[in-house]
Amino acid sequence: MLKMTQMSTVLSIFVLFLRTTFGESGCTSADGDGTFVDDEPDNFDIDCFSQLEFKDSYSRLTCNFTELPPHNTNYTLALCTKEDGNYVCFNMEKQEDAYFLQFTDILSNKDICMDSETKRRVCRSLVVTDIVKPEVPFDINITYQKEANEYLIHYSTPHSWKKYLKDKLIHQIAYQKEGGTWKTIETPYLQIKLLGKNLENDASYEVKVRSKPNGDYFKGMWSEWSTSKSFRTAREQHSTESYNSMVVVILSILGFMLSIVMIVLVITFWENRIKPAVWPNLPDHKKTLEQLCKKPKNNFDISFNPESFGYVHIHKVDGIRAKAEVENFLQPSTALETNLTEKFRSGSDLKMNLAMTDKSNLNLSVTYGGIWPAEALNRLLGTNQFAVTEGNCSSSTYEVCHSNRVPLCDDGFNLPSAPLLDPSGQPGPESLNGDTISQMVPTSDMRSPNNEEAYVTMSSFYKIQ
Amino acid sequence: PVNSSSCAMGNKTTHIREKYENILSHDIDELVNMSAEYRDRCCKNKKHENSKVFFCNDTQEIESLQRMACNMLRFFHKQKISKDYRWKAALVSCGTLQVLHCKCERHKKEKVCTQVNTHNKDTEKSEQSKKKCNQEFCELKENISSLRSCWNKFEKIIFR
Repeated sequence: MLKMTQMSTVLSIFVLFLRTTFGESGCTSADGDGTFVDDEPDNFDIDCFSQLEFKDSYSRLTCNFTELPPHNTNYTLALCTKEDGNYVCFNMEKQEDAYFLQFTDILSNKDICMDSETKRRVCRSLVVTDIVKPEVPFDINITYQKEANEYLIHYSTPHSWKKYLKDKLIHQIAYQKEGGTWKTIETPYLQIKLLGKNLENDASYEVKVRSKPNGDYFKGMWSEWSTSKSFRTAREQHSTESYNSMVVVILSILGFMLSIVMIVLVITFWENRIKPAVWPNLPDHKKTLEQLCKKPKNNFDISFNPESFGYVHIHKVDGIRAKAEVENFLQPSTALETNLTEKFRSGSDLKMNLAMTDKSNLNLSVTYGGIWPAEALNRLLGTNQFAVTEGNCSSSTYEVCHSNRVPLCDDGFNLPSAPLLDPSGQPGPESLNGDTISQMVPTSDMRSPNNEEAYVTMSSFYKIQ
Repeated sequence: PVNSSSCAMGNKTTHIREKYENILSHDIDELVNMSAEYRDRCCKNKKHENSKVFFCNDTQEIESLQRMACNMLRFFHKQKISKDYRWKAALVSCGTLQVLHCKCERHKKEKVCTQVNTHNKDTEKSEQSKKKCNQEFCELKENISSLRSCWNKFEKIIFR
């Protein structure tokens, strides 16, 4: 009896030793559903991820071993669900070194179980909403905004038109200068802006994007990187462009101010200066003549009113000879008295001042305001050739509008006049001081008996003056 | 809400809310949009005989949802209804039962959920033409509308 008791004790101890050494477990798991859950789930070396709405309403589970099992051992992975006490499993499809399974239910808790020929089924709990791997983003567009010097990066994701992960993703944008290091930015939106000041000018950059669940309910891992998109940053024209734009703005402001000033000046000087120059008023003859006249001497009256010259000693002159004619006078010559005829308007507004510098050189300076009296001429010339009398003054006129017997002017003054005698036909020095000239139309009965009529033009008067 | 004998919700209101907001509500919206695509002229005039009407009783929202979901499962085998439509309706029913941790009185109905959750490429056939309006379709459409209304009501209660 004692020996039997000792034997059983030794056997039990030996069994306990064996169990402790080899770590046999699973049989005592109390699932009661025919499966054996490993007490150490970490030995289950597989990685799985889920893709929600992979195809229509179906989601997909992908698993692969972190450590490849021996080649001579076949393993089977299954996705199992407890439903009303039943453990329903669906085997995953093996393709190369990965296992795939499409399913619809993402609400219930599931287990991933591994079956092998040598080992019992080993399962591990699996929450498909915690191992979500989103779809890869696509369609990256880069737009440069010159005004803001920013680069707008826009991209798309297939989850935008799906149910579960729409607006529940975080996107990571990675960019690098060619040959440089990658920099990343994360955002929940489908676009982002890169500041131009943070990028080098005229350099080539590369951009790529990936997504991950935001973690509020769905958790998981980053998707694969999208295809890269390259772009080139702008040159340093933005500074030049800003300079040019500043210059344009300044010039515009100056132009505007100048136009304002011009408008004010035009308004100010319109009546006094601009308008008279652009649309000159019709000249007033009286005023015009007054303006044309030289500034008279203090004791010189400018007026066309004969009554105002009552105090003026008017010298009646029947004829005015040119200088050459006067010189002929000094020589005994009878032609002079017959050639020299001149009629002045009686009381005319012409005053002729005879200045004799030399008897041999008669210099007549003619100004307005009177006529030469015969006595003065006789005294100066020493002859009585002048048959000028005062009675002739009334009809005495002189012609100043002819030169070389060619009428130079003709106006409405129909006063009788006689051509001024000038044998040379040239305007003599006895030209009138001619700011204004009274013009007469010659008549035939006033012609001198000399065939060479003397004409004195206004230019000759100017010369005399 | 009172705990139903067929449902073991317990105090898992947070889990119900998360699953409903992130998953089940989207499925229900998709099913309602699908209902609008089918012809329903026959549903307005006909009186549905032997049609069960389920109400969303106050303080018994979970039980009402459980009854509606279990009733919808019987349409899964109705051949007169478009396969995609009844399959989607069964998915929503199974999701409702799963979120509320409820069971149907008739256990056979839950086998539908196993079949629905099973992806079998061989049996999946897309229907190119939609079927004509019929009484079963009208009943299912009415059930779906009731289920959605009851969920909205229940949502306001549990999401206070």
